[in-house]
Amino acid sequence: MSEGEPASPNAPVELRLRDLRPMDAPVIIVARVVSAERREITRRSDGGRRPVLSGLLSDGTATVRFTWWDPPAEEVERGMVLRAGPIQLREFRGRPEITFTWKTRVAPASEADLPELKEDELPVRTVAELADGDEGFRLQVRIARVEAKTVSVGQERRLLHEGVAFDRSGSIPFTAWSDFRLSEGAAVRIVGAYVGVFRGQAQMILDERAHVQPSEGSELPSLEEWRTPIATAIGLLEAGRGSSHATVEGTVVGLSPPSGLVFRCPTCGRGVANGLCRAHGAVEGIPDLRARVVLDDGTGALTLNLDRIATERLWGGTLEAALAGLRERPDPGRIEEGIHTALFGRRLVATGRASADDFGLTMYPDEVRIVPAGGPRDLAGLRTELEDGPR
Amino acid sequence: MTGRETAWRLFAHEFLASVQEETGVGERPVRHVLSPLGARMNRVLVVGTLGVPEPVGKDPAAPFLRARLTDPTGSFSVTAGGFQPRALGAFQAIRDPQRSLVVGKAHLYSGRDGAAYGSIRVEAVRAIAEEEYRLDLAETLRQTLRRLDLLDDIRGGRGPESAESAARAGVPPLWWAGATRAVARYPSIDLATFRAPLASVLREIGGGSPPVPVSAPAGNVRVTHTPAPSPVLPPSAAVRAQEASFLDIVDDLAERSADGYADLKEALGLAERRGLHGDRAEELLNGLEESGVLEEPIVGKLRRA
Repeated sequence: MSEGEPASPNAPVELRLRDLRPMDAPVIIVARVVSAERREITRRSDGGRRPVLSGLLSDGTATVRFTWWDPPAEEVERGMVLRAGPIQLREFRGRPEITFTWKTRVAPASEADLPELKEDELPVRTVAELADGDEGFRLQVRIARVEAKTVSVGQERRLLHEGVAFDRSGSIPFTAWSDFRLSEGAAVRIVGAYVGVFRGQAQMILDERAHVQPSEGSELPSLEEWRTPIATAIGLLEAGRGSSHATVEGTVVGLSPPSGLVFRCPTCGRGVANGLCRAHGAVEGIPDLRARVVLDDGTGALTLNLDRIATERLWGGTLEAALAGLRERPDPGRIEEGIHTALFGRRLVATGRASADDFGLTMYPDEVRIVPAGGPRDLAGLRTELEDGPR
Repeated sequence: MTGRETAWRLFAHEFLASVQEETGVGERPVRHVLSPLGARMNRVLVVGTLGVPEPVGKDPAAPFLRARLTDPTGSFSVTAGGFQPRALGAFQAIRDPQRSLVVGKAHLYSGRDGAAYGSIRVEAVRAIAEEEYRLDLAETLRQTLRRLDLLDDIRGGRGPESAESAARAGVPPLWWAGATRAVARYPSIDLATFRAPLASVLREIGGGSPPVPVSAPAGNVRVTHTPAPSPVLPPSAAVRAQEASFLDIVDDLAERSADGYADLKEALGLAERRGLHGDRAEELLNGLEESGVLEEPIVGKLRRA
C-alpha cells in the first residue's frame, strides 16, 4: 500500500485488492465487477429468505470473491466500477474474500478511480507460469498464429481475434476482444491481460483494458523455432494439464482399444458399436482405421490418437488391403495385431494439441513420424555427466 | 490421474537392488516395486540381449517361459505365460540370443528366506537393431543419471519440496514422488555404487564391439571339457523357483479376478499343469502362508499378505 500507515486506527484506508490483508482500520476498495450472481439464502432461524449477490471483483491487481448481503434492487452489471467501504475481509483457503455488510457503503465509481497501475510495478511472467485467474502481470510473447472470427454474444455479433502466443517457456491460446492488430510472427509486450480456463485449458484474454505494444523480442524464439520445437517431457506436459501446441518424443509401449478396424456412423462419424450409433441408432457403419498409440518417454505416457491416414502411413498397410484380407481370413483382430507389430518399441515424435482428462493425456497430432534410426546424440555430454560423479 | 502406468527406464543393477514393494489402496490396488534410485515401477521398458527362453513348467498345455535379458550392468529375469499370449508367442519364436526391447510389469518375489528378487512379466518384446539398442541405452543412462542427481539433491535438502515445484524446476512429478519415497525407504544406500557400473554402459554406447558368443577355438587345438557342474540345483534355489512360479500364478489370477483374490482351486489347478503336483503344491502353499507371503483371509481365496 502506498499511503503508509494510517494516522489513527479509525481512519479508513483505500487498498488495492492485491494488498488486502486483515487490519484494524476500515478498508475501502475500488473495483470492477467481473461476475455477479443473485441468489436467496434461507435463514435457518426463521426460514426467512435473504437476498445475496456474489461473484468476482477485480481492480487489475487481483481478482477477489465478494458477497453482498441485501444488495440494491437495481441490476448490478458486469463491468460496473464500485467504491465500497468499510468492507469485511476474511480468508478462505488462503485467499482473501470480501463481504459487503449493512455497514458497507457501496457507490458507483468511474474508471479513473481504479488504482493506477504503473507498468513496471507489475511482475513479469512467462507463459508457463500463467494459471487460471492470473492478472496484473507483464508478458512478452510472439504471436504464433492469429485469425479473426465473428461470434454471437447474446443478441450482439462481435469480432474477435483468436490465436496462440508463445515464449521460451511454452505456448498459450489467446482471445482478443479488441483488434490489437496482432500479426503472425510479431513480438509484443502485453499488460492488463488476464487468464481464464476454456475447455480445461488456460487461455489468455485480452479485453479493452489490455495494452499491447510491439517489442523487439530478441529473447523470444523465432516462429521458425516454434514450429520445429524440442520435445517436452510427457510428465511435465501432464503436470501442466496439456498444451495447445507441444512436441513429444517417446517409445510406443502398446495400443489402447479401439485400435485397428472400426466402424463409423455415416451421419456423424462417431464410432458404431454392435451396429448402433449413440446418436442415430441402428446404422450401417462405414469401415475406418484408427490407432490409439500409447507413447511413453519414461517420465509419463500419453495416448496418440491417429486417424486413418496417419495409421496407414506408420503401419505400412491400407484400409482397402485390410478389408480385402478380411475376406480371406475373417479376423479383424489381425489388423490390430499387425499395427502393434509395426509400431511396438518404435520411437515416435509427435506434435499437436495435448489435453488432459481423468484418463491421462491425449494428443491429436498435427504431425507424427518415426524417429529415424541413428546413433545416440550428445555422447560427450553423457560422459561428462557420468565422470562428474555425485555432486 | 493417469490411466496408464509409465514405463520406467532402468538398468539391471538398479532393478536387482530393488527390494521394496508398495501396494496401493482400493478395490484393485496397483503394486509398485520401488528401486533404491526412486523408480516406482509398475511397468518398465528395458533393453539388452535376450537369451533363448526356457520352459519353466512341464505341461505343454500351459506353457510358461523364462529368459534372461542382459545389459552392461547385469541381467533381468523376464517371463511370459499364457496370460501374455503376445509375449509368449514372441518368446516361443526366439531361437538365438538377440538385442531386444522389452516392456513388462515389474514384480517382486520374496522367498521364504526373506530375500526379495525382481522379475519382469513381459507384455511385448521386439528385436532391435544395434543403433536402436545404443540409442535406448543412452536414453536409459541419461534418465538414470538425472534420477541419481535428483536423489542426491533431495537427500541434501536441495530438492524440490512438492510435485508442483518439481514440475516448475523441470523434474517430472513422477520422478520426484519416487525419489522422495526412495530416500525414506532406502535411507543408507551409497549412490556411488550405482554410478560406477554406468561406465560400462557408456563404453557400450560408445560403439564397443557387441559381445561375441564364445565359440570353440578353431584349428589344431585340443579342447578339454571339464565335467559339467552337477545339474542338480541347490534345493533352496529350486524351491524358490517353484515359489516364484506359484506366486506368478496367484498374482495373475488375482489381477484378473473381480474381487482381487486368486481362487485357491484355480491356482492349484494351474500349478499342477506347470508340474507342481498336489501334495508338493500344498506344501509350498503352506510354506508361503507360514512365512507371511500369502494369506487366505476367505476360505479358498488367496492374496498377497
